Amino acid sequence: MKIKVIGYRLWVIGLIFLSPLTANHSPLFAQSNVTYALRVGTTGENTLLADFPDSYAGEKVNVSVSIEKDNLDFIFTNHQSPIINHQSFDSIYVYTDESAVTWTVWRSKKEVKNRGQRVMTQNAYKTFEEYVRAHTTAAKRSTGWIWFVFAGMLLVAGIVSVISYVAKRRREKNLSAVEQETLRRKRMGLRRHYGSQLYLWLLLIVLYAPIALIAVFSFTKSKILGNWTGFSMDLYVNLFTGKADAGLNSAIWYTVVIALIAAVCSTILGTLAAIGIYNMRAKARKAVSLLNSVPMINPDIITGISLFLLFVALGMSQGLATVCIAHVVFCTPYVVLSVLPRLSRMNPNTYEAALDLGATPAQALRMVMIPELWPGMLSGFILALTLSVDDFGVTFFTKGSGGLETLSTFIYSDARKGGLTPELRPLFTIILLVMLAVLIYINFRKDKKDN
Amino acid sequence: MTKLVQIFSSRRTWAWPYVAFMAMFVVLPLILVGVYAFTDIDGHFTLHNFAKFFTHNEAIQTFLYSLMIAVFNTAICLLIGYPAAYIMAQEDFKTPKVMAMLFILPMWINFLLRTVATVELFNMCGLPLGEGALLFGLCYDYLPFMIYPIYNTLQKMDNSLVEAAQDLGANRWTCFWKVIVPLSMPGVYSGIVMVFMPTVSTFAIAELLTHNNIKLFGSLIQDYITTTDLLNYGAVLSLVLLIIIGLTSFFGDHDDKGEGGLV
Repeated sequence: MKIKVIGYRLWVIGLIFLSPLTANHSPLFAQSNVTYALRVGTTGENTLLADFPDSYAGEKVNVSVSIEKDNLDFIFTNHQSPIINHQSFDSIYVYTDESAVTWTVWRSKKEVKNRGQRVMTQNAYKTFEEYVRAHTTAAKRSTGWIWFVFAGMLLVAGIVSVISYVAKRRREKNLSAVEQETLRRKRMGLRRHYGSQLYLWLLLIVLYAPIALIAVFSFTKSKILGNWTGFSMDLYVNLFTGKADAGLNSAIWYTVVIALIAAVCSTILGTLAAIGIYNMRAKARKAVSLLNSVPMINPDIITGISLFLLFVALGMSQGLATVCIAHVVFCTPYVVLSVLPRLSRMNPNTYEAALDLGATPAQALRMVMIPELWPGMLSGFILALTLSVDDFGVTFFTKGSGGLETLSTFIYSDARKGGLTPELRPLFTIILLVMLAVLIYINFRKDKKDN
Repeated sequence: MTKLVQIFSSRRTWAWPYVAFMAMFVVLPLILVGVYAFTDIDGHFTLHNFAKFFTHNEAIQTFLYSLMIAVFNTAICLLIGYPAAYIMAQEDFKTPKVMAMLFILPMWINFLLRTVATVELFNMCGLPLGEGALLFGLCYDYLPFMIYPIYNTLQKMDNSLVEAAQDLGANRWTCFWKVIVPLSMPGVYSGIVMVFMPTVSTFAIAELLTHNNIKLFGSLIQDYITTTDLLNYGAVLSLVLLIIIGLTSFFGDHDDKGEGGLV
């Protein structure tokens, strides 16, 4: 049984790591997926050429490509695009000198076959033919080894299962009927067990596929996500040496600054509030707790819009200050909730004792309360940091039009423009790893405590 | 001065700054949404904005469509998430903590980036962007919110009840439907609320997932509220959303613990 289990894990791991790599070049997709290559002429007349695989010969195809330039959309269509027999390619290529291209390809009038936006790479290839040639050979190269690995894994899994089956038959040949029956039962339970495990792992694969895509493609310097141009650490180097897009750099700084300000403010405010709430009478306590839960229940968009209306009504100019206030609003309730449990564990009389012994309230807070509440405050602080970094909805409505961008809003405007600044990929791979480490650490610490 | 010290030595008063802050930045803004909804540009009372909403075909249709998408998404998340939570809560499942962590981890990555990655995945596999991509993306974003509360209630469930049912002759299915499901309902309720509310109010990601073809109610609100002349109409739309949110959170009131587990 053990050998079999290893075989199945090998499969799962292999699928996780190889699925993003193979999707582009797999024969499976190449069969079912119609492939196109588009070229937008660079000379004055702006011609458009569409090349289609042989199977499309004789079919009428409509193609429209729009090029985004200076916030103006040029749209040109080619209604009677001729069918050109050409080698088939296994990806979609838009070949142009412009920086961003929106493309739409209809197979017939109704059926939209492909549609999307791309930020283009610099023209590395002088001619269209050269471009095509380079890509077809590259595709052939990369398919080779990946499918070899897959075939190898399949072979190993097959051999392992055959061996284990034969071994099982041999072992059980001499068993009595009752023993065979108990073994069968046990095996059914195990099968159910592995079935449910398989379900969870499949879910996880789907859940992690997009993330894996980002992580895998952070190691190639191609501007387009999904276009593998060989292993390279250039994006990481760019990110850390500040060579990335200026907008991205300022977005990172603003995100860090806002998160720190919001987390510090909300930790102070929330800790004081938690102490206050804890010492209130039942009725007042209930009312304040209800108030505390309002920002947590409200979806981002409502919090954002209501604060936006407040700032408009007050005539406040929106910028860093308003974003910080907004972040404190939705972070503080979480700090309150993480400090409250510590308070209930604390001896309520220590504070009074400190006052009786001559401490001022501030001294008592600093020397008696805070050391006790520290873990709760810390977890509230970390929670506030992550919430602030992750927020999009509230920031979007309170950032104003002064050019202030945090990472989230930067990604949004980036994605709207069509494409993603490549340096975001290594940045988020790093964030993912840090988060993983933090979560593992927290769980590990909890386990230790439990023991 | 001594009086001030006296006031602040009573710890009850320490919450005052927070209460004042919340009144200013949570309660007042929510009231303002209502105020803006009932006034015109010059600040005079009017019901015209509401009249406009009920005759505005696009808004009504978008609203109903968003509700439908949210219901679908919640149903899909429940169908996929319940079995996952159930499996994780089984006694013989050896690594529930690691599994739960793996399911939560994606939530810590910026949801916009995950959405963009989903779009790229669809492009790469040659799948068309549209309603399917929208539902996939939403489900992908909010599935952990469904799994976690259900997992929490199932895990805290007293297993002797299940054993008692089995001893009294219930088979696996009866036991599941008559004992486990009713006991896990609080988790299901809070899961539904936690998936439905963000889905119905979602904005920004629908455009990315459908290549600007499908607009949800959140995006509509965003369009109007950021246009100066139509701000009051945007406030009406927000009020409608706020009512839906309020109704949903009443629905989720059955449960008082499930939500706390997430953070």
